[in-house]
Amino acid sequence: MRKLVILSLLLVLGYFLLNTFAGAEFGKDRKVLANYYLEKSPSELQVANTVTAIVVNFRGFDTLGEVTVLFLAATGMGTILLRRRSKHTGLNPMRTSPEASKIVQAAGKLLFPAIMILGAYVFIHGHLTPGGGFQGGAIIATGFLLLLISYRQFKVEHKYVTWIESLAGLTFVSIGLLGIVLGPHNSFLENFLNVGTLNELTSGGVIALVYIAVGFKVAAELTGILDTLVNIRETGDID
Amino acid sequence: MNQLLTYSVYGTAILVMMIGIYAMLTKKNLIKIVIGMSILDSGFNLLLIALGYIKGGTAPIFSPAVEGKDVIMVDPIPQALVLTAIVIGFGVTAVALSLVIRLYRKHNTIKIDEIKTLRW
Amino acid sequence: MVANPILYIALPLFTAFLVPLLAKLWKPLVRIVPGLVLAYLAIMSIVLMQQVGPDKPIITMIAGWKAPWGINLVFTSFSGFIASLISILAFFIWLYSFKFKKVEFDDAQKYFILFMLLTAGSIGVVLTGDIFNMFVFVEITSLSAYALTAFYKGRDGAEAAFKFLLIGAFSSIMLLLGISILYAYTGTLNMAQLAMLMPQVPMKAKVVSFLLFFVALGIEAEMFPLNGWAPDAYSQAPGPIAASFAGILAKAGIYALIRVSYTIFDLGNDGGFDLLLVMGLITMVVSELVAMRQENLRRMLAYSSMGQMGLIMIAFGLGTKEGIYAGLFIMFNHAVIKSLLFLASAYLVYYTSRKKISDLDGFGKLLPVTSLLFGLGAFAIVGLPPFSGFWSKLSLLVATADSHMEFVLATILAVSVIEIIYYFRVLGRLYFRKANKEIKVRKPTWNSTVSMIVLAIVIIGVGLHPDFITGLLHNAAADLADKAGYIQKIIPDLFSQTLN
Repeated sequence: MRKLVILSLLLVLGYFLLNTFAGAEFGKDRKVLANYYLEKSPSELQVANTVTAIVVNFRGFDTLGEVTVLFLAATGMGTILLRRRSKHTGLNPMRTSPEASKIVQAAGKLLFPAIMILGAYVFIHGHLTPGGGFQGGAIIATGFLLLLISYRQFKVEHKYVTWIESLAGLTFVSIGLLGIVLGPHNSFLENFLNVGTLNELTSGGVIALVYIAVGFKVAAELTGILDTLVNIRETGDID
Repeated sequence: MNQLLTYSVYGTAILVMMIGIYAMLTKKNLIKIVIGMSILDSGFNLLLIALGYIKGGTAPIFSPAVEGKDVIMVDPIPQALVLTAIVIGFGVTAVALSLVIRLYRKHNTIKIDEIKTLRW
Repeated sequence: MVANPILYIALPLFTAFLVPLLAKLWKPLVRIVPGLVLAYLAIMSIVLMQQVGPDKPIITMIAGWKAPWGINLVFTSFSGFIASLISILAFFIWLYSFKFKKVEFDDAQKYFILFMLLTAGSIGVVLTGDIFNMFVFVEITSLSAYALTAFYKGRDGAEAAFKFLLIGAFSSIMLLLGISILYAYTGTLNMAQLAMLMPQVPMKAKVVSFLLFFVALGIEAEMFPLNGWAPDAYSQAPGPIAASFAGILAKAGIYALIRVSYTIFDLGNDGGFDLLLVMGLITMVVSELVAMRQENLRRMLAYSSMGQMGLIMIAFGLGTKEGIYAGLFIMFNHAVIKSLLFLASAYLVYYTSRKKISDLDGFGKLLPVTSLLFGLGAFAIVGLPPFSGFWSKLSLLVATADSHMEFVLATILAVSVIEIIYYFRVLGRLYFRKANKEIKVRKPTWNSTVSMIVLAIVIIGVGLHPDFITGLLHNAAADLADKAGYIQKIIPDLFSQTLN
């Protein structure tokens, strides 16, 4: 009965949503802001990937917010899960699955450096090709996930994670603040470096630098979150 | 034809969202509720990306391949917004899962109706 | 001193990333540095409030792109007033929780970072001029609120946080849907440009989008029936956090709701304001009735807080300038008084795990200062003279009478009686019952006392001399009512183009 009520409510909600969105035709050109971005991104910023220009420059403030959300998620998980004065037993007793086979372990070790390089490539070339800091960071985190899955003993040192995430975050905000001092319009996150020429690795000015910082931050943050979920440092009940 | 395409594309995305809400409202298992939340997020991301599509458009990247050619590019803004939405959705899911872990530790169950303090 | 609205966001974020490193140098820094940042923001608010005027808002570009191309921060008499209120209140809440003995270093670090980001996120919601950016800040605020709700391991915090999170996740999707409908029809995300293009949007889409915004932001603003998260979150979170939920989080929520319904949508006279009024009325009546039946002090305060939010919605739902003025006045009072009540109550129920009102017998003698401050807050919130709550309630009643809404007027008066009953029940316990012999009492630390006394002085000061604040409130009300002015100040070029 309850399910029927919910279903009918969802039907009504879905109908109204569909009707509203259908009014805005699929595939229609509705670019008001977008045309400006598509024009300025290759000309003024010399960034080939317009999405990156938007994410890091035009709407860079959102990205700072996103990075903060990830930071908050990691901090929040620490608050929610870590137990005070916990004895670090090393192994999580809840991980009862048997050790991964030799093949998986060897393959994991073999793949790990390749994944790191791919991730770094993706975030370094964020302004030229599809991808960027978030995507690259996520790729790097999957490398650590692979190790966490194949080796039960594997632990990420939270000390290093903290350092990397803090330094990367500080770099991001500092570049932003430098924009106030050095940028032509004295505004936050503004580009103050030479933008170079389109489609070269050194193009884009601070955009490339910010995306690298984001890449490091996301990688550290996601790895930390994965490790927190896999190796919760407590046993038995909370309190 | 375009009308049909409009309804089917947006309809699919909205259907995915509705499945997510349905799971959030009816499932008893906390993990399944979190999965419902994720489905809801994905459905929305699909919808937003579809909004940015422009007929015959290519990726908004000025690579050497499109240099000098007159190409239509899709709207890049929804793509940037989806990136933000994905990351935020990820953060919320991570916090939700850690809360589930803590609830499991405390009550030894992830059935929502066996945890009295979770009732409204 | 450098006063730039961007620092409201940049500085707390910078510090949040820095604090984990500072902690390696000297551990007390994790408590001190966030406080210094909040103090700087509070002083900066005062400086900025002097610079801003009815005709000269402070508009900050980000990344060097003018609105609507880039995101901008808009510090006007209205948004600046709320941002200043939040930042100053946040400083005093920090001062209150500075010692926070119960938690150890590791937790203290997280507590202060999360609290600082809660504040920064709320100020971001208030100042931003971009609708999607507002969503990002709403999420920053919510995520820190979830984590802070589950802060204490011994209580039912995880349950409360999970409920909060589920509702929050749902609301964020509603908010995103509302935003994407607007984007689909207008192709922009800047709030001023949206307001300008709104007449082009078909009515049906406008209504659906408005309702989505209304639901999503109503959850933050504790609107009935979307406030299921609030009583649990308020009662499970640490005391100072409960205060900041009332004073900071809910304020940001109601600000966003009002900004959306007043500035972005032009539905006010087509039922938008009436919807706000009706929902406010329902919220107020239901919450106050439920508050009367509560046995847990924190929950009682939480329901009372929702009732007050209902009052604010009624005031803004009137749609008149007097209504806006009254609403702002109540927002100010609610932020200060409710925070004082939550801060004082944290010591009153310190050692009782169930936080029952019946455990408060005779605390008037055991904790004279705290009880006195609580009593003062109770007198002020129900609207008795000579406290500040009196003036705000009076201005609301006058505004309601001006709009010829006798029914609303009568309801507000009737609900005030209910409020008096349940607050005086607590006061009666505090002062006219004998104390239980074995009761353990926790004396407030000096910093908590100072912070509570400052809030009390504000309440008495504004009560005796309301002119301290009325000038600011009138400016803010005029600023919110002037929609065309908002558009013109932010996107002057586009605005003049449409006129020609």
